[in-house]
Amino acid sequence: MAENATATKDLSKIKEAVKRRKREVYKPVVPDLQLGFVHNNVDCIGCRACEIACKDKNGLPAGPRFRRVQYIEGGTYPEVFAYKVNMSCNHCAEPACLPTCPTGAIWKRKENGVVDIDSTLCIGCRRCEAACPFGAPQFDPSDGLVKKCNLCVDELQSGRKPYCVMACMMRVLDIGPIDKIRDGTFETKAVGPGETTVRAIKNMANPELTNPSIAFVPHSKGKLGA
Amino acid sequence: MKKTGNKFASVCGVAIFFWGTMAVAAEAQPQQSGASSVQLQPSLATGLDYERARWHPLHFKPAIDTATNEQCLSCHQEVLEPSVKAQSPAGVKAADSLAWYQTLEVYAGEQETFHRRHLATPLAQRVMDLKCNFCHQGNSLREEAPIPPTNTTKEAGFTLRKMVDPQETCLRCHGTHPYEIMGLPGPWEENRESLGNSCTSACHVAIRTSRHQVNYLKADEIEKAGQENNDTCYGCHGGRQWYRISYAYPRHAWPGMPDTAPDWAKDRPTESDPRFRLDTPVAASAKDSTTSTEPAKSEPAKSGDAKP
Repeated sequence: MAENATATKDLSKIKEAVKRRKREVYKPVVPDLQLGFVHNNVDCIGCRACEIACKDKNGLPAGPRFRRVQYIEGGTYPEVFAYKVNMSCNHCAEPACLPTCPTGAIWKRKENGVVDIDSTLCIGCRRCEAACPFGAPQFDPSDGLVKKCNLCVDELQSGRKPYCVMACMMRVLDIGPIDKIRDGTFETKAVGPGETTVRAIKNMANPELTNPSIAFVPHSKGKLGA
Repeated sequence: MKKTGNKFASVCGVAIFFWGTMAVAAEAQPQQSGASSVQLQPSLATGLDYERARWHPLHFKPAIDTATNEQCLSCHQEVLEPSVKAQSPAGVKAADSLAWYQTLEVYAGEQETFHRRHLATPLAQRVMDLKCNFCHQGNSLREEAPIPPTNTTKEAGFTLRKMVDPQETCLRCHGTHPYEIMGLPGPWEENRESLGNSCTSACHVAIRTSRHQVNYLKADEIEKAGQENNDTCYGCHGGRQWYRISYAYPRHAWPGMPDTAPDWAKDRPTESDPRFRLDTPVAASAKDSTTSTEPAKSEPAKSGDAKP
């Protein structure tokens, strides 16, 4: 009898605990180090070697593109311009994709801030794809799963840089600690002498949404307000 | 003998290759059916093949502003069809999965795609009146980028690599709960018990009582749902937070409004976007009966700034 009472009490405690736990909200992971990309919009020639290297590394069919080089053009002759914007997953400080995932397939790595995905846990609800402001999660119609850039985390663990960076013949794409990239103390060929980086360029979704780990050397026509 | 052996090996190899290809194709078939049926069939609305239909003017401004759901769904009906897998490749069952935001009392039903969650599920149909062009304001098939670049994302209607502008769409209901500017002692989830676990019985019975007066929401139904369960309010004001900022809802004037705005409200618009106002002809013409026919009813402002 006493045992039953204890069990009942425990059960109510468990229910209360579950209820309390259910009310806990999502708290973003704060990484020890946040890696991020830097891309030089001016010097990029748009060869798409980074895109192809990425596809090769990740075995992607036609369709999904973890990395995308975009040709931005405009002006009226003779005042015409063109520049390239190159983005993949920006491994945001507070990614929007992560809290949407109902199966826990997406997570943020504490050691380097990489937003990783285990697509074998994906049920194809595509909420992450909708929530990401930068179009990073890619739906693969060949298997109905969402996949995304993981900054070639296996390469990082082997002391190398991601395939896209290694494939860049112009050396306009690089990775490094994003705070150092932003304050100009990270040594990289992607940022030339006298050049500075910016957090956002024209038509990029507001970086305040998720604090993406990317910096650009902007084209004069791509600067916000230009 | 050696030659025959090679031939046999070749035949076996070819057979295995075709068997493997067929097996893979058969396995992929259920997942592909939704997307490929759209890609392979000519557009029902236009009679164009897929490649030509992609460049139909309806996909771009200005025609997309007045596109109806019937027009969009005549080709894109698959977005309303359930397509979530019963289980992931590693065996995670959709029915057993529960995200943190899905523990809200008002979150019901099976795992669904985001399109169905916004257009087809009972709660969405009860409190929202979303149109396809609420989110989709244009795109660029060639570069996934506005060409030429525009100064604001609002001008273009979409952002780099996205067919929508998340700040003008998703953020309205997936931003943070701005408890600081609302004068709460802390986040709602930590203080809800001490605040009576109700938004509408204590604070919002007197302040900001003219709410949700826009054509993509059903204001009356939201009020009723909020009275029934506080999670309805919290759901869109912090309970499904994807982004680290809040949406800057318009700050409509109210009787007795102070002349000076607080710092947090200084850059806020004082009216809703014209396309979302209840009296806007464009908004009215875009209405259709695909997801719902009930319009949101306007009510006179009582006090406080309307949201949105």
